[in-house]
Amino acid sequence: MRRIRFISDGQCRNVEFALKFVSEFAVTEIARAPRAPSSKRLEPLRNVDAGVLNISYYEAGPADGPVVMLLHGFPYDIHSFVDVAPQLAAQGCRVIVPYLRGYGPTRFLDPATPRSGEQAAMGADLMALMDALKIQRAVFAGYDWGGRAACIGAALWPERCIGLVCVNSYLIQDIARAMVPARPEREVPLWYQYYFQIERGRAGLAANRRGITKILWEQWSPNWSFDEACLDRTAIAHDNSDYVDVVIHSYRHRYGLADSDPRYADIQQRLAALPAITVPAVTLDGEADGVAVATDGRSSAHRFTGRRVHRVVPRAGHNLPQEEPEAFAAAVMELIKA
Amino acid sequence: MPDSIDRQRRLIIGAALSGVASRAFAQAEAPARPPSSQRMEPLRHVDAGVLNIAYYEAGPADGPAAILLHGFPYDIHSYVDVAAQLSAKGCRVIVPCLRGFGATRFRDSATLRSGEQAALGADVIALMDALGIQRAVIAGHNWGGRAACVAAALWPERCGGMVTVNSYLIQDLARAMVPIDPRYEVELWYEYYFQIERGRAGLAANRREIARMLWEDWSPDWDFDDATFDRSAAAHDNPDFVDVVIHSYRHRFGLAAGDPAYAELQRRLAPLPQITVPSITLDGDADGVLPAGDGRASAAKFTGHRIHRVVMGAGHNVPQEAPEAFAAAVMELVKA
Repeated sequence: MRRIRFISDGQCRNVEFALKFVSEFAVTEIARAPRAPSSKRLEPLRNVDAGVLNISYYEAGPADGPVVMLLHGFPYDIHSFVDVAPQLAAQGCRVIVPYLRGYGPTRFLDPATPRSGEQAAMGADLMALMDALKIQRAVFAGYDWGGRAACIGAALWPERCIGLVCVNSYLIQDIARAMVPARPEREVPLWYQYYFQIERGRAGLAANRRGITKILWEQWSPNWSFDEACLDRTAIAHDNSDYVDVVIHSYRHRYGLADSDPRYADIQQRLAALPAITVPAVTLDGEADGVAVATDGRSSAHRFTGRRVHRVVPRAGHNLPQEEPEAFAAAVMELIKA
Repeated sequence: MPDSIDRQRRLIIGAALSGVASRAFAQAEAPARPPSSQRMEPLRHVDAGVLNIAYYEAGPADGPAAILLHGFPYDIHSYVDVAAQLSAKGCRVIVPCLRGFGATRFRDSATLRSGEQAALGADVIALMDALGIQRAVIAGHNWGGRAACVAAALWPERCGGMVTVNSYLIQDLARAMVPIDPRYEVELWYEYYFQIERGRAGLAANRREIARMLWEDWSPDWDFDDATFDRSAAAHDNPDFVDVVIHSYRHRFGLAAGDPAYAELQRRLAPLPQITVPSITLDGDADGVLPAGDGRASAAKFTGHRIHRVVMGAGHNVPQEAPEAFAAAVMELVKA
């Protein structure tokens, strides 16, 4: 059944007026295209040696189009962009959708490389991939871990970044303040992060990764009715032999409880200062996000010194590109056309 | 915890056990509850082991003793109705504030603020010694249920019978790193939170909010009011509360060293000793943290007479939510 739904401008709560830049863009009507079936895979994959990794990625669109790097999060995979990627390709973009370290067929080149999941590594991987593909500039667009990688790329290498699309605004971690508690109702959704601090959590992730993924998807995206095939399509990306190590390291490092890979020490040092993002940025919050509560964007406004638009996307949860691909793709296209 | 909150499943469990479950509680006789403003007062104090224990006492001094042990994050008022009901039936009821709670204090500032299971059990025996009580029915839930199990297992000659919520509660520290179904790990979020210093700071700063959240999550059918919550939450302002709680939740995962004073007791707890005294175990069918079971999983741990019941409508705080059911279990053991 084909179903077209519309987002009215009344539904889409633009809060641009609160920010320093007022976009000309007004979401009046965005047609919701039919969703790709859960059997649709982003294929074929390509592979390239990039930095410490051999990165597996999906590519679509004209080779000479403006480049968009689409970066997935945890516990997801490239199929968060299963609808965004073709929408952007159809509009002339060259779309690159890599599997992050620890996911899918992406592999470490050297068995001795620490399986770091720290934020600096995610940003470095993005640059390494662009270097390997000889891409000078691109829009960086992501959510969750991928949004963090996009923020890092934009903050530290603005000359490589046309613009930033990020779910949940500014995502560079303030590790120096990681031991400051949040309101208890905001700590509860972070149960998995605390679980992963101890070896029981590592064993639990290794043994029950699909079950944990399903719980997190349900908690974070209460309005998203994914089916088992959709979950399975992504869950196999978590069978990567480095997945558990990278995930556990990521969640321990952000609390200052795991060492950094020394090769990223300089990057991490620069990130510790919470560098501003100077490139044009569109930030999106899912109205129904169950882990990072939707905001009006003001609390992070000082992190964006270039033009920045913030929007709350109705109905969407945490996996915004997969849940509301039109809103995500529209944000990317705004930056390309700007 | 999708399974445990599924009403259908809960009702099925209740029906399956109806042979025992339906016997005790017609519920029709439930008396009016005292107001939330009622406090268990006056408190008495006694030096007992490493503590000066504050406790509430009611009933005839020569009656059979029942020691009622509260849990986390609760206090003695989990027994506000149970204590009155048991004393009216002739029991000498002793309701201590556990270490780290209420008016109980450590006697020495240098004593490790341990929350380990061996310490909680030792505190019960120290209290009985201090009060000259040779034998008692020992009854509890949550931490207090664990203390009851420890005391019953290691000092059976002091225990005329045991009532616990959630059956056998002695921790198997050797298996603490074995994960369980992630749906149940979610409910233990606070235990994992407390493993890192952020959790300690969070507990210190937001102990009331955390306690209230746990009450609501663990007892979804319990309609407590603000005064009821406040009455108990005040006990968490104890200066040792945070240290004892954090130590408890780290020790059970093997991530905090025990107090050497309890090393021998912990060594005896490690093989998960059996409970030989007569026991009644209760599960709240609406328990949001430990799903009700049919008691079979722990059957091997009870070598004496043991009855297991599912208390319909009750959550995790069974004595406060279903005091008649709890008091009835104690009285059965007192009379036996």
